Amino acid sequence: MKKPIAGQLALTLVSLILGLMLAAQFKNVQRVGGNVSRQRTQELIEQINKLEQDNEALQNQIKEYENIISSYENASEDETLINELTKTKSIAGLLPMEGPGVVVTVDNLYINTWDGEQQTVQNVHYDDLLRLVNELNAAGAEAIAINNERIISTTEIRNAGDYIVINTNRHSAPFEIKAIGNPENLEAALKLLGGVVENLSQILDIKIRTESNITIPGYEGPINFKHAQPIQDKKS
Amino acid sequence: MWLPIIGIIVGIILGLILPWQVPTNYASYMSIAVLAALDSVFGGIRASLENNFKTDVFISGFFGNAFLAAGLAYIGDRLDVPIYLAAIFAFGNRLFQNFAALRRHFLIYLRRRLDDHNHEEK
Repeated sequence: MKKPIAGQLALTLVSLILGLMLAAQFKNVQRVGGNVSRQRTQELIEQINKLEQDNEALQNQIKEYENIISSYENASEDETLINELTKTKSIAGLLPMEGPGVVVTVDNLYINTWDGEQQTVQNVHYDDLLRLVNELNAAGAEAIAINNERIISTTEIRNAGDYIVINTNRHSAPFEIKAIGNPENLEAALKLLGGVVENLSQILDIKIRTESNITIPGYEGPINFKHAQPIQDKKS
Repeated sequence: MWLPIIGIIVGIILGLILPWQVPTNYASYMSIAVLAALDSVFGGIRASLENNFKTDVFISGFFGNAFLAAGLAYIGDRLDVPIYLAAIFAFGNRLFQNFAALRRHFLIYLRRRLDDHNHEEK
């Protein structure tokens, strides 16, 4: 039984390649955990679709309830009651507002490196935004929103991975801070010598412009009191 | 007979050592190609036992089948037709047939040796 040496060699070579393929496939399965079957993918897609539909239905429900609430509010004839409600809502930050103010855009500062690539000096950090909001509040801002997230008493501004979470929604640079108030006062407070903007300008790209009319949306998330109770004591 | 087995073992060891990876997107096509290649090698071993092994047929079959199977699976995925099932069926079927043939050859070989042995003792 004489075998041609070329055939043996070919068989060996091909076996080698087969071994390589087997190993590659094995490593892949180890890494990815095997293929997710098409059926499973289909199932998951259906689940996502269903949840999205549920979500939409719930959103519609919220709108319905809001309509009912506003119809009750409108039904009230009492002028003082309506005024009081509007005032309370304004203070809580639930109403969209408009008026003169400043718009501050905060972006990462890009520099060109020697090989022509763009590089950020530093990403916008949550406390940069907090300092700006703080300064605006101190200067008498009456309504503030970052990327159209209304800042209310419970609003958080915090890092979560690569994002900054504001009102539980994720945002990333560039940020646009809108503040309604006396434009000159707000601008002056920000541009104070040795103030916030001067400090942050070294690492961030900050632009301030005053505008005669800014609209700021109201807060649209839920506000729940589970633990805090108003004290019904009118002695004072 | 032993060279292909040594080849597979060396290949597996090399593949595990080398940091070579298939992109995840193409992993499913790789699995079909592996099946086709496995079938080709079994076919080659069988042909060499039957003494009708032809190097050109073997080499072209190995690469041709692997690429055809992966390509068909890819096209099937684009068209949403599970062609990969056909590849799995065809190659799996052939794999078992080839293995059965190998087993018969081996058994015949064993029996002949046993007979020769008995002959000598008598």
